Amino acid sequence: MNSPEPVHAELATFLALVVFMVISLSLGVIANYVGRVKTGFLKSYFLGNRSLGAFAVALTAAVMSGGTFMGYPSLVYKFGWVVGLWICSYMIVPVTVLGVLGKRIGQLARRTGAITLPDFFRERFESPMLGLITSLLVLFFLTSNLVAQFKAGGLILKLTLPQSIQRAVGADTGSGSTADRMAGVAAAAADEPAEKIAKPAGPKANSWEDNAYVLGLVIFSVTVIFYTAYGGFLAAIWTDVFQSLVMAVGVMILFPLALNAAGSISAGTAAGISQTGDPSFAFGPGASRSFHPIGLAVSFFVMWAISAMGQPSTLVRLMAFRDTRTLRWSIIYLTLYNLVIYIPLIFIFICARQVLPNLERTDEVMPRLVIALANPYIAGLILAAPFGAVMSTVSGWLLIISSGLVRDLYQRFIRPQASELEIQRASYAGTVLVGVLVCILALNPPEYLQLIVVFSSSGMAASFLAPAAYGAFWRRANGLGMIAAMITGAGVTLALYAVGMVWASNGYDSGIGAGGTLAPVYLLGMDPCVWGIGSSFLAGAVVTLLTKPPREELVARMFEKDRPLHVHA
Amino acid sequence: MSSPPPPPDHREDPVYRNSLRDARFGMSFWAIATTFVCVSAYLTGYQRAGRTLTEQDIRPVWGIPSWFLWSVMIPWVVCSVICVVYAGFIMTDDDLGADHTEELEQEIREGTDVHELA
Repeated sequence: MNSPEPVHAELATFLALVVFMVISLSLGVIANYVGRVKTGFLKSYFLGNRSLGAFAVALTAAVMSGGTFMGYPSLVYKFGWVVGLWICSYMIVPVTVLGVLGKRIGQLARRTGAITLPDFFRERFESPMLGLITSLLVLFFLTSNLVAQFKAGGLILKLTLPQSIQRAVGADTGSGSTADRMAGVAAAAADEPAEKIAKPAGPKANSWEDNAYVLGLVIFSVTVIFYTAYGGFLAAIWTDVFQSLVMAVGVMILFPLALNAAGSISAGTAAGISQTGDPSFAFGPGASRSFHPIGLAVSFFVMWAISAMGQPSTLVRLMAFRDTRTLRWSIIYLTLYNLVIYIPLIFIFICARQVLPNLERTDEVMPRLVIALANPYIAGLILAAPFGAVMSTVSGWLLIISSGLVRDLYQRFIRPQASELEIQRASYAGTVLVGVLVCILALNPPEYLQLIVVFSSSGMAASFLAPAAYGAFWRRANGLGMIAAMITGAGVTLALYAVGMVWASNGYDSGIGAGGTLAPVYLLGMDPCVWGIGSSFLAGAVVTLLTKPPREELVARMFEKDRPLHVHA
Repeated sequence: MSSPPPPPDHREDPVYRNSLRDARFGMSFWAIATTFVCVSAYLTGYQRAGRTLTEQDIRPVWGIPSWFLWSVMIPWVVCSVICVVYAGFIMTDDDLGADHTEELEQEIREGTDVHELA
C-alpha cells in the first residue's frame, strides 16, 4: 500500500481545526449581534429574519455535505469515470432545488407566518396532526443523524489532538503513521463506520471509556453548541458558507498539483485500468463491479436533483431567503460553484491513480493526496474543511430540532402565552439541551442508529417532498392526504433499506451499487429514493381525492391575491 | 370529490402563476437532461451484452474519454448556461407579500390559531 509520510501535517491539521473553531465561535458572536432586531425573536433566531442573501442560499441549500465531499473522491478512485455520471445531476440542481419550489415556499411561509417546517405544513393545510407528525419525523431522522455527526466530530478531534495532550488524558495514542491518522480524519468526516476509522485497540475505543474520544467529543460539542445556541440560524449559515468556500479553494489548489504530478489525465486513466485490471475504469458501469448500472444512473438524477428539494434543511432555507432577486442570483451562483468544483474533482481523483497507485483503503485517497501534494499548512486547511462541514451540518440540524421543540411543542402546546423573553430563554435552553443530549448519546451510540442514518436522507425526501410540492401547487391537497404521503414515503424507504440489510447480513449481494452491509434493495435496479418519493406522491394524491376537499377560504388564502389572512374556521 | 374551482383571472395570484411556470420549466429541464445524459452515456460509454468496450474505445479528448466528454461534460456546460440564462433573464422578480409571522404568533398566544386535529 502506498503510504506517503508527511511532515508536520498533523500539527498543521490541528491548527487548522483550531482556526476553524475560533472562526465559528466568532461568527456565532457576530451573528448574535446582527440578529438583535426589535421584531420577533423566533423569526430572527431560527430563520435569520428571512434575510438570507444569494451567496448564503446558494452555498448552504444544495451544496454537497462534508461527508459526500470526502466520499466522492474515494468512489472516483475506486470505480473510475462513471462516478462522474453518478454526480452529474448537479448540473441541474440549482434549477430544481431552488427554482421549482423556492418562490412558492418563500411566499407561503410569509403568508402563513410559518418559521418552522411543522409550522409551515400545519398552517398550509390547517392540520395540527400533520404538524405533529412532521415534528416527530424531523426529530426521528435528525436526532439519529446528529448523534452520528457528533461522533464524527469527536473522532476527528481525537485523531488530530497532539499526542502530548492525548497522553496527558491517559489515552492510548496508537502506533499509526501520521498519514494513517489523517486518513482517519477524512474517513470520520465521510461518516465511515467507526470500526473502519480509528482502528480501535479494544472494546472501549470510541466510547465513554476512551479518554481521547471523550475529550474530542467534549471540545467539539462545547464549541458547536455554544456558537449555535448563541448565534442561531445566521451562525449556522455563515459557518456553512465559510466551509464551502474553503472546500472550493482546496479544489482549485489541488487540481493543477494533481495534474502536474500525474503527467496527464490519460495517464491516470491508464493507471486505473492497469491497477484494476478492468477497462470499465474508463466506462460504465464502473471498474471491478457494476457500481452504476443505468437504472441507478437514472435514480441518482432523482436522488441529487429531486430528493434534495424535500430535505428539511433546504425547505427551511427556502423559507428564509430575502426576496426573489436573491433566489435568482443564488441559482446563478450555485450553477457556477457546481461547475467549477465537481468536474475538477473527477479529474483530480482519476489522476490520483497515477500519483498514489493501489491504495487498499480508497476512502483515504483525499487526505493522502492532499498530504502528498500540498504544503503542510495548506493540506491542514483543506483537511479541516470537511470538519467545518460537520460543524455547520450539526448547527443547522440542532436549530431545526430546537425550533421544533420551542415553537411546535413548548409555544403551541405548553405555554402559548409565553412572553418574548421566555421564548428567547427557551430557545437558548432548547438548543443547549438538544446538543447536550446528543453529546451524551454519542458517547455510546446504539447500533440501530446506523440504519436510520443511512436511510434518513432518502427517508426525509420521501416524507416531505410530496407535501411541500402539493402544498405549493395543488389547490385540492388536504391534510389527510399529506399525512398519508409522509407515512407512506417514510415507510416504503425504510422497508427497502431494512430488507436489504437483512439480506446483506445473510451474505446476499445484488452486485450493483457500492455494496457493503448497509446496501438497500434496488427494486428493478432503482434506488429506494425513487420508490419512496413515487409512493409518497401516489398515496398523497389517492387519499386526498378520497377525502374531503379543503375549505374554500383556506384555498383562496393560499392561491389568490389580496385575500384576508389568518381567518380561521 | 370535486376540486375547488380555480379563481377568476383577476384574482389569480401572479406569484403562484409565475412559480408554476418556473416549476414546469425546472421539471421539464430535469426530464430532458436526465433522458439525454443517461441515454447518451448508455449508448456510448457502457459495457453491455454484445458490446464490449476496450481501451481503444476510450478515444480521449484532452485525456477525457469521449463518451464522458459528450454525455456528461458538454451537457453540464450547456445546462449551466441554460440555468444562468433562465435565472438571470427569464425568471421574474415577484413581490412575496407581507410577512405574517407576528400575526401567527399573536394567534398562538390568544389561542385563536385552532384547527380540527386532522
